[in-house]
Amino acid sequence: MEHRWGMAIDLDRCTGCEACVVACHAENNLPISTPEQAAQGRTTHWIRIDRYYEGEFPDIKVRYMPVLCQHCDNAPCEPVCPTYATYHNQEGLNVQVYNRCVGTFYCANNCPYTVRYFNWFAPEWPEPLALQHNPDVAVRPAGVMEKCTFCIQRIKRAKQDSAAEARPLADGDVQPACVQSCPAEAMVFGDLNDPASKVSRLAQDGRATRLLEELGTKPKVFYLRKG
Amino acid sequence: MPSAPELLPYQRIREDLFRPLSRVSGRYLLATLIAFIVGAGGLAAWGLQLRRGMGVTGLQRPVFWGIYIVDFVFWIGISHAGTLISAILRLTGAAWRKPVTRAAEAITVFALMIGGMFPIIHLGRAWLFYWLLPYPNSRLLWPNFRSPLLWDLTAIVTYVTGSIIYLYLPLIPDLAQLAEHNTPWRKRLYRTLSLGWTGSDREWHALERAMKLMACIILAVAVSVHTVVAWDFAMALAPMWHSTIFGPYFVTGAIFSGIAALVLAMVIIRKVLGLEAYLTRHHFDRLAKLLLLMSLLWFYFTIAENLTVWYGNEPKEMAVFGARTRAHYAPYFWIMMFLNFVVPFVLLGIRRLRTITGATVASVSVLVGMWLERFVIVVPTLANPRLPAASSFYTPTWVEAAITAATFAAMAMLYMIFAKLFPIIAVWEFKPHPQEEE
Amino acid sequence: MDRRNFFKILSVTSAGALGGCGGKADRAIPLLVPEHEIVPGEEQWHPAVCAECGAGCATVVRIMEGVRVVDRNGEAVRERIAAIKKIEGNPLDPISGGRLCARGQASVQSLYHPDRLRGPMKRTGQRGQAAFAAISWADAIGQAAEMLAKVRAADPARIVFLGGAQAGTRSLAIQRFTEALGAPAPVVCSLADHAVEHKAAEIAFGWKGLPVYDLAHAHYTLGVGADFLGGWASPVYYARQFGDFRQGRRQIRGQLVQAESRLSITAAAADRWLPLRPGSEPQFLAAVGRMLLDAGLARKPEALPKAVVQAFQAADPAALLATCGLEEKRVRQIVKELGESEAPLVLAGASVPHTNSVDAVVTSHYVNLMLGNVGKPGGVHAPAEASEDPGNRALLASKKQPPTQPSRDREGAVVPADPRLSQSLAHAQVVLIDGANPVYTMPHSAGVTDAQARAELVIAFGSFLDDSAAWADLLLPDHHALESEMALVPAVSERQAVAISTPFVEPLYDTRAVETTLAELARKIGAEYQGVTPKDIVQPLLTEGVSYEDVAREGGIWLEPPPPTSPRPPTVAPSFAAAHFEGDAAQYPFHFQPYPSLQFHDGRGANLPWLQELPDPASSSIWGLPVEIDPKTAAALRIGNGDVVRVESPYGSLEAPAYVHPGAVPGVVSMAIGDGHSHYSRYASGRGANPLAILAPVWESSTGALVLGATRVRLARAGGRRGWTQFSTGDRQERGFDGR
Ligand SMILES: Nc1nc2c(c(=O)[nH]1)N[C@H]1C(S)=C(S)[C@@H](COP(=O)(O)OP(=O)(O)OC[C@H]3O[C@@H](n4cnc5c(=O)[nH]c(N)nc54)[C@H](O)[C@@H]3O)O[C@H]1N2
Ligand SMILES: Nc1nc2c(c(=O)[nH]1)N[C@H]1C(S)=C(S)[C@@H](COP(=O)(O)OP(=O)(O)OC[C@H]3O[C@@H](n4cnc5c(=O)[nH]c(N)nc54)[C@H](O)[C@@H]3O)O[C@H]1N2
Ligand code: SF4
Ligand code: SF4
Ligand code: SF4
Ligand code: SF4
Ligand code: SF4
Repeated sequence: MEHRWGMAIDLDRCTGCEACVVACHAENNLPISTPEQAAQGRTTHWIRIDRYYEGEFPDIKVRYMPVLCQHCDNAPCEPVCPTYATYHNQEGLNVQVYNRCVGTFYCANNCPYTVRYFNWFAPEWPEPLALQHNPDVAVRPAGVMEKCTFCIQRIKRAKQDSAAEARPLADGDVQPACVQSCPAEAMVFGDLNDPASKVSRLAQDGRATRLLEELGTKPKVFYLRKG
Repeated sequence: MPSAPELLPYQRIREDLFRPLSRVSGRYLLATLIAFIVGAGGLAAWGLQLRRGMGVTGLQRPVFWGIYIVDFVFWIGISHAGTLISAILRLTGAAWRKPVTRAAEAITVFALMIGGMFPIIHLGRAWLFYWLLPYPNSRLLWPNFRSPLLWDLTAIVTYVTGSIIYLYLPLIPDLAQLAEHNTPWRKRLYRTLSLGWTGSDREWHALERAMKLMACIILAVAVSVHTVVAWDFAMALAPMWHSTIFGPYFVTGAIFSGIAALVLAMVIIRKVLGLEAYLTRHHFDRLAKLLLLMSLLWFYFTIAENLTVWYGNEPKEMAVFGARTRAHYAPYFWIMMFLNFVVPFVLLGIRRLRTITGATVASVSVLVGMWLERFVIVVPTLANPRLPAASSFYTPTWVEAAITAATFAAMAMLYMIFAKLFPIIAVWEFKPHPQEEE
Repeated sequence: MDRRNFFKILSVTSAGALGGCGGKADRAIPLLVPEHEIVPGEEQWHPAVCAECGAGCATVVRIMEGVRVVDRNGEAVRERIAAIKKIEGNPLDPISGGRLCARGQASVQSLYHPDRLRGPMKRTGQRGQAAFAAISWADAIGQAAEMLAKVRAADPARIVFLGGAQAGTRSLAIQRFTEALGAPAPVVCSLADHAVEHKAAEIAFGWKGLPVYDLAHAHYTLGVGADFLGGWASPVYYARQFGDFRQGRRQIRGQLVQAESRLSITAAAADRWLPLRPGSEPQFLAAVGRMLLDAGLARKPEALPKAVVQAFQAADPAALLATCGLEEKRVRQIVKELGESEAPLVLAGASVPHTNSVDAVVTSHYVNLMLGNVGKPGGVHAPAEASEDPGNRALLASKKQPPTQPSRDREGAVVPADPRLSQSLAHAQVVLIDGANPVYTMPHSAGVTDAQARAELVIAFGSFLDDSAAWADLLLPDHHALESEMALVPAVSERQAVAISTPFVEPLYDTRAVETTLAELARKIGAEYQGVTPKDIVQPLLTEGVSYEDVAREGGIWLEPPPPTSPRPPTVAPSFAAAHFEGDAAQYPFHFQPYPSLQFHDGRGANLPWLQELPDPASSSIWGLPVEIDPKTAAALRIGNGDVVRVESPYGSLEAPAYVHPGAVPGVVSMAIGDGHSHYSRYASGRGANPLAILAPVWESSTGALVLGATRVRLARAGGRRGWTQFSTGDRQERGFDGR
C-alpha cells in the first residue's frame, strides 16, 4: 500500500487545552447534545482528553491524554462486525461505513480504547446551525456507530490537490483538524510508510509508547511520554 | 391414588389430559388478557424505541450492552430446559420422564423465539436486521462470518428449527388421536398436523428412530448454542469476559436455569390443569436433585472464574472484580450467590425440605438468580473499560423494563395457548403399544 | 509554516493565476463571495480575525456552499449562500501561528447561532423582563438619536459607553464617538483587560502594554499567578511557546514551576506546582528575590536601584513563605535551580486578581531584572510601541483606560464600588453597551442592574440578548465578527501588529456594524464624528512597497520585532503588603476564587453548544460548572461529587454542584466563570450559578480592576444532586467504583 497513516502525540507539549476537541466537532459534523442528553451520556467527542489525578495534595499530578481512534493495525473492533461496516482500508485506516452499520454495538464493546460513539438519537441542529456543516462529511443517522476517521476527507482533498498540481503528496500535506488546531503543536500526522516523515521519526523516538500496546492491537497513534 | 401415572387406566389418562383442551375458564381468559396487556405495553415501548432511537434506553458509552443482552442470554438459557433435559432423559431411558418432556420441549421453543427477538430489539437499526442474514442479494454483499454474532445467529436458527421438529415429532400420535372426535376446526387442524398418522408399526418405528436421532442432534446443538452465546463475550478483549471457561460455564448456567423454569412450569400446570396425579412428588424430587446438582456445578464454575481473577490480581480485571464484589454492583453479585447457591443448597440439599413447595421456591430463586448472573457478567465489565477515564454506570430505563416484562408475558401467553391446543403431557406415551413390547 | 497552510494562504493571496479548475480559490482581494461563484464541493479560504478575546489571533476561514431556508412572503425558500465551515489560525500570524484555541474554533457557532438577534428591537415590557419587539433601523436610530441629543444638550457627562477589552477599529470608533458627543471616555468593562499586568509593566519598566515572555527560549520558568495556558492574556501564543519550551529544542527541555493558588491547567502542565495561599504572590516573590540575593544568584542586582534591593533584603523568607503556606526547603531548591539556570524566567500575572496583584507583578519584574533576563532571549520583552500616528495612540489609550481617580491608598480602605464604573453609571442617563456584559461580569453589589434600570435609555449592540441586553431599551445588533470589517491589535506582541478582516460573506440578518450605527447616530445628532477603518489603523505601519491591499489579503500586518532596548530603571520600591479580603474569617472561613476558564473565558463562551459540551479541564463537567472544593473540606462537610452546595459571601449566595477536586488548595474554593446567565440564548440562559454575582465590590486601587479573589465565603451542604454531568468520569474512585 502507498500510505500508512499514523499520528504522534507529544504529551510533553500537550496542555490539555481541548482546542483539538472543538476542531474535530467543527470539521466532522459531530452531533451536539443537550443538557438532558448529556446527562444520559449521549455526548460525542471523537477525540477526548482523558484526565487523571495522581497522588495527593500538595504532591498531586495531573495527566491529560488526548484519546482518539488509534487506527489499530490489528483492530479488535473489525472482526466482530457482522456487516463489515467497520473494516481496514488500503491505507491502514479503520474505516466506518455508516450506511452498512446496523448498530449491534459489538465493535464498541471490543474497542479497548472506548473511542466509538453511537448515535442514540437522530442528530439535530436548530436552524441555522447546520449552515456550518462540512459538506465533505456525512451526517450520521440515528442507530449507527461512528468514530474518528483520521479526517479521511482531508486525506482525500490533499490527494486531489497534489494530483491537480501534479506533485507527490508531501509530508505535512495532510493535516487532520485536530492536528491543525493544536496550539502546542503536540500532534503530528503523516505517513508511517515514509521513513523520513516527521511522524515516522517521532514513532522511533525513545519517548514513544502506544496505548495498551500489550493487547497487541498495534495502534498507529504514538504517544511521546513527558520528560 | 397410585404413586405413578403409569399405573392409571389409559382411558382415564386420555380423558384427564385431553380435558383441558376443550374448556376455557374465566380465570384463563383473565390471565391471557393480562399477559396480552403487558405484552402490548412492551410492543409500544419498542415502537417508541424504534421511533426515537436507542437513546430511550439506559445504555450509554461504554455500557453498550444492557438488559436486552441480559434477557437474550437468560431466555436462551431457559430454552435449555427442555430439549436438552428431555433429550438426556430420553436417551438415558429414564422412565419417569414421560409426563415431563413435552412441557419442557414447549418451553424450549417459546424461550428461543423470545430470546431470539432480543438481538433484534437491541439493534440500533432494527429494521435492517436482515442484513445479518446470509442471503443472496443484488449487491453481492455477505455478512462477516468472522463475527461471533453470525455464529450466534446460525446456532440459534439451527436450534429453533431443531427444537420445533423435536417438539413436533412426539406430538404426532396425540394429534392423530385428537383428530378423531373434535369440533370441526380443531379436527381440521389436528388432521393436517398429524400428517396422516395411522399408527402402523412402520410409522412407530420410524418415529422412534427419528426421535432418537433428533435427541442426539439436539443435544449437540443445544450445547453449541450456549457455548456460542458465551463466545459473544469471551471473544471480546474486555476484562473478565475474555475467559476460556465461559463456554461450559454458560451451558451449565443455561441448564441450571432451564431446570428451574421447567419445575416452575410444571408446578403451574399441575395446579391449573389439575394434573396432580401425573406430576407427582416423585417427579419434583428427581428434578430437584438435578437442580441441586446443577447448582453445585454452577457454584464450582463461579468460584473457578472469580478465584483465578482475584488471585491473578491483574489491575484491569480487578477493577471489574471490585465493581462486582465490593462496589457498585456488589448487591447484584451477592444476591446472585445467595439465590443461586445458598437457597437451592438448603432447600434441596436437606431431604426434609425437598418438597414440591421447596422445589418451587428454589426454582423461582434460581430464575431470579440466573437473570442477575447474566447482569453481573454483562454490565460491570463494560462499565469498567481498560481506560478508566471512560468508566460509567448503567441503569435500565422503563423502556427496557417494559420490554423485558413483555417477554415474560409473551412466554406465559404462548404457553397458555399451547396448553389449550395440545396436550401438555404426551398421552400416547402412557399407552402400551407395540414398540414398548419389543 | 507548514505546507498545507502555506498553500491555503497562497490560494487567497495569488491574483487569479491558477485559473478556474484547480479546485483552489483564486480571489485577488478578499471580497464578498457572490452566489454564482460558490461551486459545490469547492472551498475558498479567506483571512479574518478572532474577536473572542483580546489576544487578537488572525484566522483563515473556509467557505463553501450552504443552503439556508428563508421566509419570502410566507413561503419557505431555499437559498444558496456562501457559508463559513471552519475557522483556522492564519499561518502568517506570528501570534497564532496558524493555530487557534477552543473558543476561536467555536466562534463560527455564534455566527450561525439559532438565537442570534436578527434585527433591531425595542423593549415592550418592563426593564429586565426581556420582552422586545422588532423595529425598523430608521425608527430605532431615530429614537436613540433623539434621546442622545437631549441628554447631550443637558449634560453630555451623563452618556456612558461601556466597551470590551479588545483594541482595534471598534474601540477607536467608540472613543471617537464619545469624543464627538463630548461624553466621558468609554469605560472598559471587562474581566480580561489585564489592567493589573499593564499597570505593573508601567510601574516597573515604563512599558505601555503587556510584557511579552519569551517562554520558548527560557530554560527554567517560574510561573506565578498567571494561568497562561488557560484563560490568560494570549492562550494560543503561550501554548505555542510552551510546546517549544518543552520539546522545541534538541538538548534542552524547559522546566516549569508554577506557583498558583489553584491547580490550573498551567499548574497541571508544570513539573512542580507550588500551591500558594490566595493573595500571597508578593510575599512569595519577595522571598524568591531575597533568596536569590542571599545565594549570590542575582546576576544583575545593579539593574535595580538601592531602594528596591533594600526592600528585598529587608524581607524575611521564612516568615513570608509561612504566609504563603509553602515549605521553605522546597522553595529554596527551586530558587537555586532558577538562579543557576542559563535562561531563567519569572512569568507572573493575575489570572485571579487580588488587591495586591500589582505589587506581585511589579515584584516579579524586579526578580527578572535581578536575573538579568529583560530583553534577552528566554526573558521578558517589551511590548510593541504604539506608532506615532494619532490614531494608533488613541487606540492604545482606549485599550488602557486609566481610572478616573485612585480612591484608596495602597494599603488603605477598600472603596465600595469601582470608581470608573459606579461613578459614571451613578448618574448616567444614556448607557451604551458594546462588547461587554456588565450585568453578568460585575458583582450584584456593584449596582449595575440598578444603574441600568435607572437610566433613561440603554442601548445594547451585541448579537445576543444577554444579561445586560435584557435590561436595555434598544437592541441594535452588530454584524458578527465574521461578517465585519475590523482590525484588532493583539494584546501580547513585541512587534507592531494589526490583524484585519474585510467582509467576505453577506451578513445573515438585518444587522448593522456598530461603526455604521454610531456614524448615523452622530449624523442625526449633528456631532462631528469621523469613522475608523482598518486602513486608518494599518496605514502608519505600512512600509515601502507594501500596500493596504497586500495587508488585507494576508489578514494583517506583523512588523519585525524591534531590537531590544533596555527599559528605564525602576523607581518605585516594591511593596509586599498582604492582600485584603472581604468578610470575617471566622464567619466566612474560605477564600473564593472565580476564574476565567479556557472554554468560557469571562463567561462569553457559554452560549455555544460546542463549548458547553467541552469537558471542563478540572472536573470534566459538561453543560454546567461546579464549585471546586478540596477533599478534606468536602469530607468535613459531608459533600460528595455532584452534591449541591451553598456558597455564601457577605454579599450574596449561590448554589451549585460540588466537585471534590483532589488538587484544590484546602481553604480555597474555586469556580470557573461561565454559568448563571439570566439571559444568553437557549444554551446558557438560567442554568447554573454565576460566581461573580456574590463577590464583594472590591476593585484594585490603581487600575480599577475587579478583584476576583478578595471575597471570603462559607460553605454549606444544600442537599440533593442536580444538573451535574461529567463527560470523562475520571478515575474510578471519583465515581465511587473502588469500594476499597
Ligand atoms: N439526489 C439524487 N438522487 C439520485 C441520484 C443522485 O445523484 N442524486 N442518483 C441516482 C442513481 S444514479 C442511483 S444508482 C440511485 C442510487 O440510489 P440507492 O440505490 O438508494 O443508493 P444509496 O443511496 O447508495 O443507498 C443504498 C442503500 O443500501 C444500504 N446498504 C448498504 N450496505 C448494505 C448491505 O450490505 N445490504 C443491504 N441490503 N443494504 C445495504 C444503505 O443503507 C442505503 O440505504 O440514486 C439515484 N437518485
Ligand atoms: N462517492 C460516490 N461515488 C459514486 C456514487 C456514490 O454514491 N458515491 N455512485 C456511483 C453511481 S451509482 C453512479 S451512476 C455514478 C454517477 O456518476 P456520473 O455519471 O459522473 O454522474 P454525475 O455526477 O451526475 O455527472 C453527470 C454529468 O453529466 C452532466 N450532464 C447533465 N445533463 C447532461 C446532458 O443532458 N448532457 C450531457 N452531455 N451532460 C449532462 C452533469 O453536468 C454532470 O457533469 O457515480 C458513482 N460514484
Ligand atoms: S489541542 Fe493539542 S495541546 Fe490542546 S489538548 Fe489537544 S493535543 Fe493537547
Ligand atoms: S481504537 Fe478502537 S475503534 Fe479504533 S481501530 Fe482500534 S479498536 Fe477499532
Ligand atoms: S455497531 Fe455497526 S459497525 Fe459496530 S459491529 Fe455493529 S454493525 Fe458493525
Ligand atoms: S483525526 Fe480528524 S476525526 Fe480524528 S479526532 Fe482528529 S479531527 Fe477528529
Ligand atoms: S486566544 Fe483569543 S483571539 Fe486567539 S483564538 Fe483564542 S479566543 Fe480567539
